[in-house]
Amino acid sequence: MISVTKSTSPIVEYHNTIGLCTMEGRGFMFPVDTAFDSNGYIYTINRGHKADPRTIRITKYNIHSEFFGTFLSYGNNDGQLLTPSSIAIDKNNNIYTCDELTSTVTIFDSNGKFINKWGHKGKGKSDLDGPTSIIFDQNEDIYISDQYNHRIQKFTNEGKFLLSFGSYGNNNSQLNLPWGISIDNNNNIFVANWRNNRIEKFSDDGKFIAQFGNYGNKEGELNRPSSVVVDNKEYIYVADWGNERIQIYDNKGIYISQIRGQATVSKWAQEFLDSNLEEASARSKANLKPDISQFNNDPHEESSHIEEFFWGPTSVKIHKNKLYVTESNRHRVQIYNILT
Amino acid sequence: MTNNNSDIKLIAHLLRRAGFGATKDELDKYNSIGYENVVDALIDNNNSQRINDALVRRYFPDQSVTHDQVGGGAYFLYRLLLTDSPLREKIALFWHNVFATGYSKVTNGKPLSDQLRMFRDHGLSKLDKLLLKLSKDPAMIIWLDNIDNHNGAINENYGRELLELFSMGVGNYSEEDIKECARAFTGWSIANSDYIKELAVRNSIMPYGKLAWRYEYKENDHDNGEKTFLGHKGNFNGEEIIKIICEQPATARFISRHLYHFFVADEPPVPAWPYKEPQDSEAIDILEKAYFDSGYDIGEMIRVLFNSEFFKSERCHYKKIKSPAELAGNILRTTNEFTEPSIKITEYNSQIGFMGQTLLNPPSVEGWHQGTEWIETGSLTERVNFASQQLGDISKPGIKKIIENIIKNEGNSISAQICVDKCLEQLGAIETSQHTYKILVEFAQNNGISDINLVNDKENATKKISELMSVIGSVPEFQQS
Repeated sequence: MISVTKSTSPIVEYHNTIGLCTMEGRGFMFPVDTAFDSNGYIYTINRGHKADPRTIRITKYNIHSEFFGTFLSYGNNDGQLLTPSSIAIDKNNNIYTCDELTSTVTIFDSNGKFINKWGHKGKGKSDLDGPTSIIFDQNEDIYISDQYNHRIQKFTNEGKFLLSFGSYGNNNSQLNLPWGISIDNNNNIFVANWRNNRIEKFSDDGKFIAQFGNYGNKEGELNRPSSVVVDNKEYIYVADWGNERIQIYDNKGIYISQIRGQATVSKWAQEFLDSNLEEASARSKANLKPDISQFNNDPHEESSHIEEFFWGPTSVKIHKNKLYVTESNRHRVQIYNILT
Repeated sequence: MTNNNSDIKLIAHLLRRAGFGATKDELDKYNSIGYENVVDALIDNNNSQRINDALVRRYFPDQSVTHDQVGGGAYFLYRLLLTDSPLREKIALFWHNVFATGYSKVTNGKPLSDQLRMFRDHGLSKLDKLLLKLSKDPAMIIWLDNIDNHNGAINENYGRELLELFSMGVGNYSEEDIKECARAFTGWSIANSDYIKELAVRNSIMPYGKLAWRYEYKENDHDNGEKTFLGHKGNFNGEEIIKIICEQPATARFISRHLYHFFVADEPPVPAWPYKEPQDSEAIDILEKAYFDSGYDIGEMIRVLFNSEFFKSERCHYKKIKSPAELAGNILRTTNEFTEPSIKITEYNSQIGFMGQTLLNPPSVEGWHQGTEWIETGSLTERVNFASQQLGDISKPGIKKIIENIIKNEGNSISAQICVDKCLEQLGAIETSQHTYKILVEFAQNNGISDINLVNDKENATKKISELMSVIGSVPEFQQS
């Protein structure tokens, strides 16, 4: 089935959903970002919540919903994180994570064994303050969204500072609490400029190229974008977080279409329901797609009631021509085929 | 004492009751517009510009989705600390206690946070409108079993508490009225009721986290037959029942006592009200009249209350023991630690629980008993420790600012007495008994504040003043309002 779009050019179709809300083990709890290794494993990092440290973990699985365990624990020691925000994987399948609270980068091998940790909190050159997104370029250098310093920092994969760009403000190239970043095939850096309600495009050495987006909830408008990714054909996918939707733009930033979410019962969820028959029976009679008009055009409220909708889409990633949308509030990943 | 001081002390009293206290800097601003205008501003300002839900949702999804009372309680505390519309949060706290609905049975934080939002939005409106909202509130429908109140098989729980605890009080209706009331509310349910009930009983978070709840009227399950309620006869639905309830003098009196109890002075616990007259019957009469004159308008009753002599009278100053939420709200607004959401708010919310008030989870449908019941050995220790620790913490911006204000214009030295005076003034124009005052001055003297050169040894002076404020946090006048 083709996704619901308001455009005549639908370019994604729903594939499946992976996820289950759990405090530990198989499933997610407030997942915020997803990454892929070269062996077909998918890693989703869970922000969890402090009240129950078990919830803070990385869940390892594959596209077929096979589960391969979790790793990472809550804390401030090596191999632990307090407030996980993002995840990226290098060519050797080492897993890089950011901790928003401690402003550090922690590295694990693909089995979850701690390898290294670097980064320190501050406002100076090479310091980090609230890192929220991490990506690799083709040279295995790292870009980090340095949130509270309102800039993007570039490091080697060993944490050696290379350069930084962006500054606090609302003018071209300026940032205000940037969140997700990504890199296209031409090594351009895209930034979800969260509080400025727009997407910024920079060259790999930090020169401002372009921007698009204005605050609002109409087609193409943005409300606190959290993440951005670009496909092989240069279509741009934006997690329009405050509007609880994904919007798709062409390479000039012209709006093409949007999706609001079409989640279905995941394999893990189905297995849970199969073993909890009373709950499954009651659920089968429930209307989980109520009339949207009763929620006062408030996307947060709409998504809290309509289960298939995105709720808290914090990360969009593309892997093998599929779009992965990580939803923190619904504890799942919705996957879409890219048709371009 | 100058008139200006009197005005400030009165406004300080108002802000302790209508909000969560105010520092001297805030009091000076309020004082510049005059007492009655402050009252009007508190009642009429319904939109705090300082609350930023997007930040909460970004950094603390557990507080915005609120699976449980931990996240929801932390969000409520965040609002108490940052709001510039304090009466809105105070009235939400008031109704949260009167219409007490608890996580222990609801097992879903979002409906409870939604209920608090409803109290915030409608808690100062007319009682009939508020009771209608309450009767359609999904958390209440689960909490008091109206989900199981069916045509031909009534569940009396909501009908009973609507009359007993939410509007009229024991002794003003019959058992038959309860049954008829329950019949009128049959069919007042929630969407997907079987599924939601199943999830609530199991406290299930699967498959995709907790769903939000919404009201649904099930016409086929409503008993549309004739009912006799409080002497009225008709094919009543819930709306008519609420109209009849709001017309009752008993309702006017019950709500008036609640407002007096919360905003003026501690009364005995609600279950004792049928047997004990109000301590100030004249005040209750005034509030009852305001209730009818305004068409059951809670905001107008409160306007009358705050402008009344019985509220302004020094006889009722410091006659209420702050609830844990009020105490923590007052302290943390003073320390000014938060300008945006923070993980620390969750910790402080836990400490409010240790003091005996777990937000979003009152102990029963009767809410928290107030007054001296807030004070027991364990909770008193928590209260005193929390106040002393926070007010003595010079790393907190609000405390730093207060100490700077105290030292400013004092030259090289400050006497113990002036230091105490200025600390009390800065912390919100606090008045103490002579006994407390003497102890504070002795402490300041013995701690050596007057021996310190404020210019050359500012660090030591700051430490000594913070120690004095730490002691002030423990005195009865600070723990009371």
